[in-house]
Amino acid sequence: MTMSFSAPLVKIQSLHKSYGPHIQVLKGLDIEMKPGERVVVIGPSGGGKSTLLRVMMGLEKIDSGSIRFGGKPYISSESADKKTEIDTEVRRSIGMVFQHYTLFPHLSVIQNLILAPCKVRGEAKASATKRAQALLERFGLGAKANAYPAQLSGGQKQRVAIARALMLDPKLMLFDEVTSALDPELVAEVEQVILQLAAQDMPMMIVTHDMWFAKNIASRVIFCAGGVVVEDGPPEQVLGAPKEERTKDFIDRVFHIRH
Amino acid sequence: MGYSFDFQSVSFGPLWEGLMVTLELTVAANIIGVVLGFPLALLIMSRFAPVRLPAMLFVEFFRCTPAIVQIVWFFYCVPMLFNVFLGSMTMGILALGLNLMAFNAEAYRAAIQAVPREQLDAGIALGLNPLQRTLYIVLPTAVRASIPVLLTNGIGIFQQTALVAIVAVQDLMYQAKTLATETYRPIETFTLVALVYFAVSFPVSQVVGYLERRRQLMMS
Repeated sequence: MTMSFSAPLVKIQSLHKSYGPHIQVLKGLDIEMKPGERVVVIGPSGGGKSTLLRVMMGLEKIDSGSIRFGGKPYISSESADKKTEIDTEVRRSIGMVFQHYTLFPHLSVIQNLILAPCKVRGEAKASATKRAQALLERFGLGAKANAYPAQLSGGQKQRVAIARALMLDPKLMLFDEVTSALDPELVAEVEQVILQLAAQDMPMMIVTHDMWFAKNIASRVIFCAGGVVVEDGPPEQVLGAPKEERTKDFIDRVFHIRH
Repeated sequence: MGYSFDFQSVSFGPLWEGLMVTLELTVAANIIGVVLGFPLALLIMSRFAPVRLPAMLFVEFFRCTPAIVQIVWFFYCVPMLFNVFLGSMTMGILALGLNLMAFNAEAYRAAIQAVPREQLDAGIALGLNPLQRTLYIVLPTAVRASIPVLLTNGIGIFQQTALVAIVAVQDLMYQAKTLATETYRPIETFTLVALVYFAVSFPVSQVVGYLERRRQLMMS
């Protein structure tokens, strides 16, 4: 994929999404993300954060709007029949990690990692295994290659899930509350891995409730509530000195809970 | 009335032969049920009504009628209606096998539907197409998840085989009835036979319990 540096990596325009006739989750979302940006999306539950990531991964249909990725049309629902069009080729350049690990329980760690490269890209098993092993070593999981997901801690599972997504060389990583289901003492090891990726300029969009993590990883913070972007700016501004009243309320409450 | 479990004067040969027939019925019915139950499950989950409805009717017929009626129907009505009789053993295997197939199809269906939505989401996120998701995620997960139920159904069929004695298949129950009549010792004979059924079933039910506990651990 070729793209000039000035072109946005992701361009989301007027995204609308509802579940059934009454629950409108996204009400006209516009976000532009530049290459190399690490966008953290914060906001109250039900504000559309996770739905946004699921839509970007192509897991949800949309009502209207469009997403362009790397300058190419990716997802749209603008035709008369309101059918969501997803370019599955473009989708393959996006990786996602979920809240609940979602490792395949019947496959060992290494098999989880090589399944998609072998089946989707037709990579030779030997070469995929070699890459997978290297990735596991890098994440401190070299010894776990032949373990099954049930034998791993939550933190280890989540690191394997990140490695599995990286096996497909994504151009963008989506992290959907990846530490929310973890015991507190396991959060750091997962966040370290994501910080490691950030240091290598991996573009990412992160939904999290962990404000410490948000502050440390974000190059930009978006506060999303009621299905729209309420505030968007550098972390010092949105987390430190928010301009919007709703952002301020939210930040106050979150920090109040934490301290 | 005195009991005597001293069977020195009695030949166990027929009981042994009966047990072998019972096991043969069980194994053959299970092969039919385990193998053909899966495609049947796919049929009852079809979105296409002309495929789904006959398959559902088949399953519901076997689930909603007593096994003994099914067996008697197979032995007496199938030959009359279709002018075929394949030998009592074959008919017994077919009747039990089709019954088990219907129950196993339901077990497979439940297991397929229980594959967590997130697993499929992860499959989409990794770029697997629908066929690849079925082959590499749904199928292995569902087959594993249904093993305890398949075993329970299988051991159920082992016990149901006793019903074919009434249509003259010479299984363990049939031999026991003969022996009891010949020796005038029904209490001893049927107690012994009950213990034999128990001795085969109990270890399997223990294995089912173990597998279920292990599965719960895997899922947690």
